[in-house]
Amino acid sequence: MAYSDKVIDHYENPRNVGSLDKDDVEVGTGIVGAPACGDVMKLQIRVEDGVITDARFKTYGCGSAIASSSLVTEWVKGMRVDQALEINNGQIAEELSLPPVKIHCSVLAEDAIKAAIRDWQAKQAQLEAQAQGTAAAEAHSS
Amino acid sequence: MDANNHFAVLGLEPAYELDVGALERSYLALQQQHHPDHATGGSVGERRAAMELSGAINEAYRVLRDPVRRAEYLCRLGGIDIDVSDPERGAPPMPQAFLIDMIERRDALADTRRRGPAAIDALRDRVEREQDEAFDRAVVALRRGAVREAAVALVERRYLQRLVDELDHEA
Repeated sequence: MAYSDKVIDHYENPRNVGSLDKDDVEVGTGIVGAPACGDVMKLQIRVEDGVITDARFKTYGCGSAIASSSLVTEWVKGMRVDQALEINNGQIAEELSLPPVKIHCSVLAEDAIKAAIRDWQAKQAQLEAQAQGTAAAEAHSS
Repeated sequence: MDANNHFAVLGLEPAYELDVGALERSYLALQQQHHPDHATGGSVGERRAAMELSGAINEAYRVLRDPVRRAEYLCRLGGIDIDVSDPERGAPPMPQAFLIDMIERRDALADTRRRGPAAIDALRDRVEREQDEAFDRAVVALRRGAVREAAVALVERRYLQRLVDELDHEA
């Protein structure tokens, strides 16, 4: 299959390959898989004051899956979380000129960034609940 | 004959358990009977029909003689096409823990490689055993008519297959 120049560029020089500490409260981790082909993708973001300051990925799959996740990490850096949630697979597929049989790779990358944001949001909600619990306990004891 | 159903094409019952001898005999007989060469004197329509039927017979045989393809095909007949990445009619999504395990095991491949070919071989043996176990679960589920459960096991087998492929390719 003929890959577009952009896919080949991301495949040969992937941006932001690597990992962030998944236990860090500022880090959100999304792990998704494509059942039909067995590709797996991990995408992580670091969020400070509502802005994504770092993004990393590891993708074990075809060139289009690697390029899709590489592109998304490039895009989201500097975005606010709510902006990153707006990214959809159509934009990714268009940027990389993915053929129809590879559209599912861009869907995977969209799912991965959404899963990473959800993970970060869940961590923030938990922190908030803990803070409230502590405040309530302090109010009770005083 | 329903040309869209591989079992019907070869005159077999749609089940995982299959008499391989009967499959071979049926295939060879039908292939001879419907060979496109027999239609060379016919009209364009007849020749095309003969080509299509002959193609359907070959495709049915290719899918049904292979146990994994046969099991996957039974899932498709049951409404789950695991070649499709659409959660509505395609493969069910795998549990998060399974996907995390798949990522971590791929991450660990570089270390395994550093330990040498014996370590790679040992890992390949283990993953292939897991593949067999997943496949056995799929067959058991298909016998009970539990298509979704079978599809999950077959998808698990595919992810493991990809892991084996990576062991063999990225030296």
